[in-house]
Amino acid sequence: MTKEQGNTGKRIGVYICRCGSNISDYVDVDTVCSEVAKEKNVRLARVMMFACADSAQKEIVADITNEPLDAIVVASCSPKLHLHTFRAVAERGGLNPFNYVQVNIREQSSWAHSDNPPQATEKAFNLIKAGIARVDLAEPLMPVTIPAENSVLILGAGVAGMRSAIELADLGSQVFLVEREFFVGGRVAQWGKMATTDQTGEEIVTALYNQIRTRKNIQVYTGAHIISSKGSIGNFNLQIKVVPRYVKPPCDPQGFRKAIEACPVIVDDEFNFGLTKRKAIFHNYKSEFPALPVIDMANCTRCGECLKHCTGINLDQKEEIIDIHAGTIFLATGFNPYEPRPGEFGFGELSNVITLQQLKRLLELSKGEFRFREKKIESIAFIYCVGSRQVDGDNKYCSRYCCTSAIHAALQLKQEFNVPVIYHLNKGIRTYGKQEVLYAQSSAAGDVYLQFVEDEPLLVEIYGEQAKITINDLLTAGQEITVTADLVVLVTGMVPRDNIDLNRILKVPIGKDKFYNEIHPKLRPVETVIDGLVISGCCQGPRNIHESVSSSLAAVAKVYTFINKGEIQLEPTLAIVNPDACEWCGLCLAACPFDAIQMVETGKGKIAQIIEGNCKGCGMCTPVCPTEAIDLKGFTNMEIRSMIEAMSG
Amino acid sequence: MNTPKILVFSTEKISDPALDFAGLMKLHYPASVHAIVLPCSSSVRPEWIIHAFESGFKGVYIAADGSDCPYGESCIAKTAKIVERSHVLMKEKGIPTDRLRMAAVCSVCAEIFVKQINIFAEELNASLKKED
Amino acid sequence: MEDILQDSSVKVADSLVVGGGIAGLEAALNLANTGQQVVVVEKDLSVGGRMIHLSKVFPTLDCSACITTPKVSEAARHPHINIITNCELKQISSDENSYWHVRLQINPRYVNESLCTGCQDCEEACPVVVRDEYQYNLVGRKAAFIPFSIASPRVAAIDIDNCILCGACEKACGPGAIDFSQEPVQTEWVVKSIIIATGFKLFDSDKIIRYGSGKFKNVLTAMQMERQLVPTRPFNTVLRPGDGKIPEKIAYVLCTGSRDESVGNPICSQICCMYSIKQAQLLLGALPMVDVTVYYLHIRAFGKGFDEFYQQAKMMDVNFIKGKVGRIRELENGDLVVRYEDIASGQVMEATYDLVVLSVGILPNMDVEKIAGLETLELDPFKFLNQRHEMTNPFKTNLPGIFMAGTASGPMDIPDSILSAGAVSALVNKYNKQLLETTVNSLEITSWND
Ligand SMILES: Cc1cc2nc3c(=O)[nH]c(=O)nc-3n(C[C@H](O)[C@H](O)[C@H](O)COP(=O)(O)OP(=O)(O)OC[C@H]3O[C@@H](n4cnc5c(N)ncnc54)[C@H](O)[C@@H]3O)c2cc1C
Ligand SMILES: Cc1cc2nc3c(=O)[nH]c(=O)nc-3n(C[C@H](O)[C@H](O)[C@H](O)COP(=O)(O)OP(=O)(O)OC[C@H]3O[C@@H](n4cnc5c(N)ncnc54)[C@H](O)[C@@H]3O)c2cc1C
Ligand code: SF4
Repeated sequence: MTKEQGNTGKRIGVYICRCGSNISDYVDVDTVCSEVAKEKNVRLARVMMFACADSAQKEIVADITNEPLDAIVVASCSPKLHLHTFRAVAERGGLNPFNYVQVNIREQSSWAHSDNPPQATEKAFNLIKAGIARVDLAEPLMPVTIPAENSVLILGAGVAGMRSAIELADLGSQVFLVEREFFVGGRVAQWGKMATTDQTGEEIVTALYNQIRTRKNIQVYTGAHIISSKGSIGNFNLQIKVVPRYVKPPCDPQGFRKAIEACPVIVDDEFNFGLTKRKAIFHNYKSEFPALPVIDMANCTRCGECLKHCTGINLDQKEEIIDIHAGTIFLATGFNPYEPRPGEFGFGELSNVITLQQLKRLLELSKGEFRFREKKIESIAFIYCVGSRQVDGDNKYCSRYCCTSAIHAALQLKQEFNVPVIYHLNKGIRTYGKQEVLYAQSSAAGDVYLQFVEDEPLLVEIYGEQAKITINDLLTAGQEITVTADLVVLVTGMVPRDNIDLNRILKVPIGKDKFYNEIHPKLRPVETVIDGLVISGCCQGPRNIHESVSSSLAAVAKVYTFINKGEIQLEPTLAIVNPDACEWCGLCLAACPFDAIQMVETGKGKIAQIIEGNCKGCGMCTPVCPTEAIDLKGFTNMEIRSMIEAMSG
Repeated sequence: MNTPKILVFSTEKISDPALDFAGLMKLHYPASVHAIVLPCSSSVRPEWIIHAFESGFKGVYIAADGSDCPYGESCIAKTAKIVERSHVLMKEKGIPTDRLRMAAVCSVCAEIFVKQINIFAEELNASLKKED
Repeated sequence: MEDILQDSSVKVADSLVVGGGIAGLEAALNLANTGQQVVVVEKDLSVGGRMIHLSKVFPTLDCSACITTPKVSEAARHPHINIITNCELKQISSDENSYWHVRLQINPRYVNESLCTGCQDCEEACPVVVRDEYQYNLVGRKAAFIPFSIASPRVAAIDIDNCILCGACEKACGPGAIDFSQEPVQTEWVVKSIIIATGFKLFDSDKIIRYGSGKFKNVLTAMQMERQLVPTRPFNTVLRPGDGKIPEKIAYVLCTGSRDESVGNPICSQICCMYSIKQAQLLLGALPMVDVTVYYLHIRAFGKGFDEFYQQAKMMDVNFIKGKVGRIRELENGDLVVRYEDIASGQVMEATYDLVVLSVGILPNMDVEKIAGLETLELDPFKFLNQRHEMTNPFKTNLPGIFMAGTASGPMDIPDSILSAGAVSALVNKYNKQLLETTVNSLEITSWND
């Protein structure tokens, strides 16, 4: 027993999990169990094979009622996995869930110290003692419920964002769909015919947008981005800034067309990845949404030429700041196609080296014959894994979509444009699942597949009007082979979008691969460590459309469970003020980042009071209090002090 | 050889996942390192640190949220302030201030954590030996 | 012929989930957590599907049971979920209000579920030993048995085909739970929607005679190796079944039964590369001296963290040989000679191993096709359930109100199965809501782009 532990007389049950053998291979659980049984207030200690298994849970519930027990400790895996599992067990036994403490003896003992079983055992014992000390002092806590706004802010109107907007709207939520670009659709709008269904991007975006338009509870903002965020799950207060289009209906399409013609400014068209030019007033393709051109103010010279043709143009439109109140935030901000470094496989240096994204645009812009820079293309070499699976660079991951998409484009080149010779210089083709069929089709159509060794990069050189590529081909016993081609296509992977501001404002967790990171790929695949912030589509990592949409629908299901009841239960671990000790100095108010503290007058004088709906339970106010009058429920001063003592030996 | 006891204050959402991750990857560090999980590194009371030293811990390591803190950026400054106040208390009690360390540990920073805690343990060992 | 009892009361739920694997359970939990009433029908004696039998899962290497069992127990005790095991679907039909009527048959386990405490006394008493299908025939089990240690429900069953009716279990059972008089019971359920989550079948490697699977004792399937690697593994170490020797050299043959027109399966199974790489890493952990060689054509390490996982295996000295395995031969001492075309050198070569693991592929589970009333359900060219709008409206069948989750729609790993289950719950939630709101005549719920 530690000094701090009072004589609570609590009846505590301790369960020690073998986790199959994950724990018991390194921690001598039987010895720990018999030692633990001797601790004060411990009525029962048991070893279990899998404490989380249904039968084990039932056993604990039975113990709670039969013994009876007032509190339980489970020493098993990380509480991140099973805190809620066992809190629910405690509840089913009739205990307050906070009379349960989970001790992590797997991740932080048996696994971390598998090199030293005796010490892992000793540590496990100390950790369990600390758990017992904590549960002994633990007070029952009641959950706090707060109202949750049944509305969602979706950032990004690509396929993932648009598809989820429709579903959320139909499930009864108010949806704010915020797109940074001036047109919706995201990347898919750029791709033309796609794997594996041959649907075009335009078809898909049009179908989705038409659905969005018929739903009154979806509000779409284009040219908009988030500038601030306050609050938390259930009640986010967000601000978005809407950049003007400088164009507004009414104006007839003729007028718009003339206005575009009249504009004297010519810049690279990023929609076509610089393959074509556009004006400062522009739109991307005929059926684009919203069907209204836009003026790109970064390049507009305000010369006024367009004004002569169209009454809808107003160069003085001002940006707007809009306040949005949303229960959850849904990130669907997508990816960027990898942009090769200058000189990478000749990119930027040789005129006939392009990227897959450029090829996809070229295919869209071509009719009948396939030409590049006027020249009819008779042979093409695809170089795979550019910007992915890098041996030296940072992008260690496979971009997943590209093998299939490149092969699909190659088939289109062969079937629609009769390009006779196509080489695929790859690192091992990854047309997983049913996509394999495309690979088989392409091989049958006579495409040549050569595989290069990872650490021996290819050499791309100019060879007359063609490009010459030298490769050590794995498939022909490492022979050095050269191929020449009219056009080289770099099969580029996916990289995260630049979203520095958004990442900062929302504090989005970012993984090793620099994409957004989920809590757990199997247990909580669309949630982030920030409650109420879900992720979906390609902002989470490379995916094709089917997979992006699946993840966005999965995120819809999650959001629906958050907000459909109109209220959310908060963890009851909130700050609490001891009015007798408080002398109101205001330091806690200054320390609280959530405006959760207010001053109130009582008969005794001024004291601090917690506004529970605002309190997030961070505890930042506790160390600053000079009189130790403020405490954090679930992590009280007494509890932590007694844990320190218990752990110390 | 016994390694000196170190108390780690880790945080539920940011640094403790890194400790878990270290275990998952079987990265080893001394078993004398014990962690207490708090919501945020800015909720560590300097008095707890003193209490740890007085209870027999030889070192205290705050695995801070840093800029990843889910409760906002003020965390960095606040945790720094806690260390500062602890140093004052430690000096009063005659505890060398280098026995308290603080570093930001992100949720996947397992390797960094393990490296730092190993170095801390070694240095503590060396300085404790000198003392003897 | 045995009698089939008819339970005449018609039961009602919002949705019916067919298959209690990870996909089915995840979908059921998602729906139940938003207040829907769900009934889960599982053909097997326990829920958990394939995943509950796996060792650790790629690429995070967390323990599979540790992820499955909490979901299983959350579902088992959820007030809105009703799990029926050892149960099959007999007939499905829809009524004029577009509700589905489903006839289920609960087969007898000859043990009263509510009385059984899972003590295993019957198991001890039973004199009959047969092969244990839950350990993929690596060891034996009794005719009175608990399917496996973490089964849910953890209740005994009598394998009546092998039972000799000696009555030993009846005598041994303290609570008197054994009940040989049980008969199949049929009941009818009315539901708004159905989720098919019947999972996949594994390719039967015995069909490739050249590999000697089923004939040579030391040729295992990946699932058998999976069982040797689980925490509750039968031998407590990895052994070769032929002679109990601890293997020193192990070979993996990828694409067994996948990407192979000659066995009628042209597609890639999407998981075998990764589970083989996972097993190789686990083997190196379990037997530090072991040599593992993987014969592959392409390594499909495409998912989040997969390529990194593959590189990690290479760093751990797992041997990867790009080569086509032609034939496997058995030596007298049980060792195996793998004959393969080495693609790097263009030569046919041979190498000897203690153990060969066949990385068998995923095939469609054609069970649902056989259910009366579902003849019009569309399948894709590979006999998985067809998704008419795979890109933007996935996981819907051609029949209104019938959805799919997990590997019933095609090969996928656990993360993707879980995502699909999440996606389908969103769709089903909406479908159920709209079916309630819409009158019969203006049914718009077949959804927008059908
Ligand atoms: C060359 C190429 C070819 C492809 N071919 C195929 C194919 O054939 N078949 C297939 O299935 N898949 C294909 N893909 C993959 C497909 O493009 C993606 O799966 C899909 O685009 C992912 O959709 P998303 O909504 O997640 O992201 P995106 O399409 O990237 O959409 C994200 C949206 O979010 C917006 N956004 C970003 N940041 C912000 C912000 N801060 N605020 C507001 N809005 C923001 C963006 O402007 C964009 O509109 C291909 C990809 C490439 C690169
Ligand atoms: C050897 C091996 C290793 C693997 N390792 C990994 C790994 O490390 N990581 C990973 O992500 N994935 C792994 N997988 C893949 C993983 O097993 C699957 O992705 C996952 O199990 C799919 O889940 P499911 O629910 O779709 O199907 P299943 O697990 O097959 O579940 C289907 C359920 O439906 C039931 N059922 C079938 N027919 C009927 C019927 N007619 N009526 C009622 N019920 C029925 C079945 O009994 C079963 O319970 C591995 C697979 C294998 C074979
Ligand atoms: S999908 Fe293919 S091209 Fe893209 S990174 Fe993976 S292996 Fe390379």
